[in-house]
Amino acid sequence: MAEVAFVFSGALVQASFRQFAQHRANRLSLGIDFGAASDRFFDVTVTGDEALVDMFEMACSLGPYDCIIQDVTRRDIAPAGNI
Amino acid sequence: MTPQPIWSPVALSNMVDPSTSTGAVVNGAELVVWRDSSGKAHVWEDRCPHRGMRMSFGFVRGDHLACLYHGWQYDTAGQCRHIPAHPQLDVPQTIRMQTFASAERNGIIWAGSTTEADPALLPAEIAGLVPVRSLYADCTMEKALAILAATPLPGVSDAPKIETISENYISLTAGATRLLVAIQSMGDAKLALHLMANEGAPIAALARYAQALRLALETPLAEVA
Repeated sequence: MAEVAFVFSGALVQASFRQFAQHRANRLSLGIDFGAASDRFFDVTVTGDEALVDMFEMACSLGPYDCIIQDVTRRDIAPAGNI
Repeated sequence: MTPQPIWSPVALSNMVDPSTSTGAVVNGAELVVWRDSSGKAHVWEDRCPHRGMRMSFGFVRGDHLACLYHGWQYDTAGQCRHIPAHPQLDVPQTIRMQTFASAERNGIIWAGSTTEADPALLPAEIAGLVPVRSLYADCTMEKALAILAATPLPGVSDAPKIETISENYISLTAGATRLLVAIQSMGDAKLALHLMANEGAPIAALARYAQALRLALETPLAEVA
């Protein structure tokens, strides 16, 4: 298990990105907490299997069709195996 | 909204070999129809939950259907069982396909409108049928039924006797020939007709009849062209 905080930045439609991230987290059986957001960035923290967290990052780096993700920062809150 | 049939034909059984997959459309819904290595047919949404690739482009490995894109494999219940990039991963139950009930009856693969469609609502079994062919036409159901009722079967001059077995399954009889027509609504005025006939019927002549039938079904479009 890992807990990772992401900041996805670019040109975002908040509602669209949130729905997309929630859907992917549900699909991947990840816990998800939404943090601050604007039309330029979105803070998301997810918890789950490290491989599935990586898949979440990849999916959200592509984003929904109406969002352009230009940068992703990733911070390990709890590395794999420490939760 | 028009009620949809509980069971819709999606292919002639003989057109989907074991360990192969193909695509089908029912009322705009894109489906993958595939057989596992034991020969059992399955019908799922034609979309990998991972990246949306058509599963009908995928390949069958034993009793798993694998996506062409990243090789994610799904078992016969639609549950993802293997992700090649993470072979040790215990794949969560949430990664699964949208599945539909499927059944084979009278030489045709039928797809249920839901996962739990009642097999008791399938058409009754008819023994001794052989496949003729499928044909695809831009045509409404009403027009197709009218043309089928008015078009003589091969070797007979009179219009066939028509029997409605269900809203998308009819029987045409003339002389010693009985033709069963399962009608798949693909979308707005788009149909697939799956034809089976009784053993001993003139299959080659019925195949030619089907070719002519398709032209008749699309006559207005052909005239414009």
